[in-house]
Amino acid sequence: MKKKSLLAGLFAAALLASGLVSANVAQAANREIVVWMPQGPTRAHYKLINAAAQRIEKKHPGLTVTVVGGKDMEVSLAAINAGNGPDISMANGAGNVGWFCGTGAWVNLNKYINGANGVDMKKTFTPAAISGTKSKGVTCAMPFSSEVFGFYYNKDLFKDAGIKRAPETLSELKSASQKLTVIRNGNIIKAGYVPWATYMDNDMTAQFLAAQFGAEFFNSKNKSAFVTDPAWEKAFKWQRNFIADVYGGGNFEKGSNRLQAFMAQAGAWWSSDNDFNTGRIAMLNHADWLGTLFCNPDWNAYDCNTPDVNFKAAPMPVADAIHDTDYGRGVVGSNAMGISKGTDNMRDAWTVLKELTTELKVSRDWANTFGAVPSLNALRQPDAGVTRPAWMLPFYRITSHPKSGYHRLLNAGEHLEVDYLVELFNAWQANDLQGIGVSNLKAGLKQAADKVNALPGMR
Amino acid sequence: MSFPSGKTVRPLRKQGAAVPAPKHGVSTPKTFIFMCMLPWTAGFFLFTAYPMIASFYQSFTYWDMINPPKWLGIDNYQRMFFHDDLFWKAFYNTMWISATSIPIRIAFAMFSAYLLTKAGKTRNIYRTIYFLPSMVPVVAGTLIFAWLFQPYFGVLNLFLEKLGLISMKNPPMWFDNPGLSKWSLIIMGLWGIGDTMIIFLAGLLDIDKSLYEAASLEGANGFQQFRYVTLPLMTPVIFFSAVTGVIGSFQYFTQAYIATGLTINGDYTKSMYFYATHIYETAFQQYDMGYAAALSWFLLFVTMIATVLMLVTQKRWVHYPNGTMFK
Repeated sequence: MKKKSLLAGLFAAALLASGLVSANVAQAANREIVVWMPQGPTRAHYKLINAAAQRIEKKHPGLTVTVVGGKDMEVSLAAINAGNGPDISMANGAGNVGWFCGTGAWVNLNKYINGANGVDMKKTFTPAAISGTKSKGVTCAMPFSSEVFGFYYNKDLFKDAGIKRAPETLSELKSASQKLTVIRNGNIIKAGYVPWATYMDNDMTAQFLAAQFGAEFFNSKNKSAFVTDPAWEKAFKWQRNFIADVYGGGNFEKGSNRLQAFMAQAGAWWSSDNDFNTGRIAMLNHADWLGTLFCNPDWNAYDCNTPDVNFKAAPMPVADAIHDTDYGRGVVGSNAMGISKGTDNMRDAWTVLKELTTELKVSRDWANTFGAVPSLNALRQPDAGVTRPAWMLPFYRITSHPKSGYHRLLNAGEHLEVDYLVELFNAWQANDLQGIGVSNLKAGLKQAADKVNALPGMR
Repeated sequence: MSFPSGKTVRPLRKQGAAVPAPKHGVSTPKTFIFMCMLPWTAGFFLFTAYPMIASFYQSFTYWDMINPPKWLGIDNYQRMFFHDDLFWKAFYNTMWISATSIPIRIAFAMFSAYLLTKAGKTRNIYRTIYFLPSMVPVVAGTLIFAWLFQPYFGVLNLFLEKLGLISMKNPPMWFDNPGLSKWSLIIMGLWGIGDTMIIFLAGLLDIDKSLYEAASLEGANGFQQFRYVTLPLMTPVIFFSAVTGVIGSFQYFTQAYIATGLTINGDYTKSMYFYATHIYETAFQQYDMGYAAALSWFLLFVTMIATVLMLVTQKRWVHYPNGTMFK
């Protein structure tokens, strides 16, 4: 009997032990965190993140971090929806954060940021970088590096025209443009500044105008502010007056026609044939990374000793009335990273996300490889080991301005608040508001606002 | 049963005799056929039937792809007809391009094929040349045409100016002009009619030459031969092209989407905004999958109506050599 009891006891203990072992094995097996990023495995971006993942594994024994390249956000979202998405995904831009937060595709990180293993966001990241990580008070992303939009100008053309510094106000911008523009036989040969939506293959014009006029995309009631914020109407009217005065001798129609003919002959934007490289235009607003193309055809930020075009960067000129408070600001986005809804290991996912976005080495390597502006405050000191190309320093300064950042983000689909405004802009600059079924600018702004407010995520 | 050689052939099985039982481990023909069909059948149910049923359900919901669908009843369908101006714009544009481009494409393909029938020994060379554009990827073809149609330095306008038809001070803006944009798409589409033309060429070469000889003996001139011989005998080909053309034009997307992106004014009047674009933007920019599913089901419904109408009316105008398309 005793023998039987002993055997039974041993058997039970063995069962319990094996159960514990297998539970531990299962837990260890579940400690894999998968990170998806847009750039493929052959790209330097992937190699840097993968190296960081290996460092995280060493720092946290038992944790496996697998980085998968070539997965853009559309693929990532489809996978999250199907329930087999990555634990962490990286977006190559901040624009969709409103949607990711609003739908819960990326989980609310507030609890983890403020928890025991949290992050002091204000101390760690620049305010500009933080602005593109939350929606309606919910932080669902962490910033990684920054994409900064500022103002470029051609130093040689400025010198020829007798202009000594970059314009800081919109009046100065117009005055400089008038001096720099060359019109012969009714054709624009050289243009100073071209405030035209769709020019340059980007839809950022609306966001540039918002920064330049201090306009808000959404009001305090989380509805479109196109009608309630008078800055939008001012911005639109400024654009027409600018075109009329600079290109049409006071006549908008004439200026618009000339400008359209000029733009139709633009060089390919993503090559060194673009209008800024060739000197067809003297000034433009664009991202920090486009400056690398002005430096050389290889897009190398550090090879700018003999640039293709003798350029300099500065903050965007702003409306005269807000110069003292707003000059120096710019639009700033980041490669936001978030944790997918449905991850089965939230604790480890947070650990990895925190490490990836706050580790100095990976952000420093990223900045030194691509010339990108880091989002970490610690890397902004001169002795932080980040090599800053001289031409990029104004972009660093832009991220320090308290009003720099991404506009407030809500669940407006694929940032359609920008698209709808650009649609109105297109009709407005073509002097054809009837084409979109409205009779005046106010009605056009209301139509755009109604479209934004009618979006499913905004209702 | 015997052959002239005198050899007797033994029938495989006597009539009425029982089928011998299969040997153990050998599949019956039915099982084998089923196994052969299984990959396709499984693929059909997994990737066609199930998504269709799921999208029908989703068309009655609001679904953002992340959270569970919320039941809306018929709200999406009501929104489509009564609250969505873009739906009507996209629907009109799609109907317009369908009604305009298909007859032009058919006429152009038939004319090109007719010219090829006259080419004699060089026919094969010309056939290849005419067909080549069909092999160019749609995106590449559209980008090329965007350059050709470029208002200020595009080849088309420079050529028209040489002919004295236009002035470059105020040139036709093609894709940038709402009145010309759809016509530009149609002209661009004619470049790639090679596949349709090949079918027409086969149809034309299939017509019995004796019919033309008979018509000629009866005194029919060239036009009358075309009207009373060629055209009736080509109606099955025309019918086929019309049906496939309607189905294709209802899904018209890529060319217009790319051309819109290349305009100076972003096509703010939505003159190149087609039904498929509306579905795409609803699904993948607004992330409103439920409404996009409703739009897709309505498209299927309209396509079916159009196809059935053509099938019904074909009795009046399509002449099959053996009486019906189903024989």
